[in-house]
Amino acid sequence: MAKRYILNCLQKGKSIIGLAIQLAKVEFKLRNEGSYLGVFWYLLNPILTFALLFLVFSISLGNNIPKYPLYLLLGIIMFNFFQSSTLESTKLMRDNNRLIKSIGFPRESLIIGLILKNLFSHLFEFIIFICFFICLGLNLISILFYLPIIILFLLFVFGFSLLLSSLAVYFVDLDNIWNFAIRLIWLGTPIFYAIDGQNHLFFFNLINPLYYFITLSRDLVIYNKMPEMWIILGSVGCTLIFFVLGIFVFNKLKIKMAELI
Amino acid sequence: MKRIIIENLEKEFSIGFLKKQSSFQWLLSFFSGREPKKVIKVLDNISLKVNSGEIVGIIGSNGSGKSTLLRIIAGIYDYKKGNVTVNGKIISIINLGIGLKERLTMKENIFLVGSLFGMSQEEIKSKLNSIVEFSGLKEFVNTKIYQFSAGMLQRLAFSISVHSNPEILLLDEVFEVGDEDFREKSAERIKELVRAGATVVLVSHDLQMVEKHCNEIIWMEQGKIRESGKTKEVLGSYKNDRL
Repeated sequence: MAKRYILNCLQKGKSIIGLAIQLAKVEFKLRNEGSYLGVFWYLLNPILTFALLFLVFSISLGNNIPKYPLYLLLGIIMFNFFQSSTLESTKLMRDNNRLIKSIGFPRESLIIGLILKNLFSHLFEFIIFICFFICLGLNLISILFYLPIIILFLLFVFGFSLLLSSLAVYFVDLDNIWNFAIRLIWLGTPIFYAIDGQNHLFFFNLINPLYYFITLSRDLVIYNKMPEMWIILGSVGCTLIFFVLGIFVFNKLKIKMAELI
Repeated sequence: MKRIIIENLEKEFSIGFLKKQSSFQWLLSFFSGREPKKVIKVLDNISLKVNSGEIVGIIGSNGSGKSTLLRIIAGIYDYKKGNVTVNGKIISIINLGIGLKERLTMKENIFLVGSLFGMSQEEIKSKLNSIVEFSGLKEFVNTKIYQFSAGMLQRLAFSISVHSNPEILLLDEVFEVGDEDFREKSAERIKELVRAGATVVLVSHDLQMVEKHCNEIIWMEQGKIRESGKTKEVLGSYKNDRL
């Protein structure tokens, strides 16, 4: 009995992942379909953002930050992944309303597909980071530390997106609120500056999950140092909380989604 | 084997409507973006049983609750009261909204929709030729579908659905746009599936199609089953009522 249940769960999981990969491939392809620059748009966005911020802030804010180009770029690409996944998730159910009203497929696949699509973009952006890494003559081995971090970050973003996508169906204003909130988070997170004893910013960032993930990545990948324990616990804690909360809320709310979109 | 068992099903929708409001209420609605809503009972005391190897037609005027009933059977909508039990893999095409992407080629769409219908990539690969062949759109297999007519989309959608091993096939106004040849071909394919033990529930306004292929008919009106039973009898009453 238990064996059959496990086999059924595995089968279901495999089919959800299979569908999500298919959806991700399609969306990745369609995103720049017909565009002259195609997939290069994935590279242009972070490069231009990086170039602009570097030009404006490298002297005033980045002067005391070691390896500032890497510090800045890693912050930008991690924030981009979080921003694009969460912003798109608030519209995901409404954008797929015809499909959701017609076929009884696992709705989670849409979110997993969205995260995978953005993960592809993130990997493109990470290639630029590796290029910078090589140009600065740093040891490439430390790049490997990013693998466990991205797995953790992926689960966090997945849980967060599940939460937003389901709540946005019931609470339409969430789309606009999140659009505004993400700008505040961009400014509040130390992406192009360092907190350096600014207490009000430090306390704000204690409740900002992105702070933990970005600091963890910078410490391990760029500075090759062991992060402080509370940073590690913060990252793992945020992942667990949002992953469990996201799945719980999504499962509670998904049955009414088709009627409301 | 009973494929679908529905007992005392009730379903309500909370729908926005234009209500006579005071100026203050109107201002509040205008600035908040919220609209008055009223509860409408769309399905009332619906009970039915469908066996394997049956084709059941559902007829009735627009807004009688046919598509809502299909969506509840497919597990897309929740319901307020009653019991719904289904035994078997459900494939549904409701208003042709099956996730076809017009900027993808027909072949890419087959892989996408096949996945949505629960087929693995290997399974889709092995059935690709058969799906294309059945749709009769072989020359367009590598063409993007944004110039496809409604009839061509219907051919594609139906062809993928019948190749997805359905045990319960729910079709909502799928044959209203296709040509006669494809309808006949589709009807034959449905009969093959039914002979193999599948169940088909067909919502249609095409009474000839329903009369020719359905074993039983359910006539719905204002969310209730007005009459159900053998095709000839129910269709006779339905036609008399329309006179």
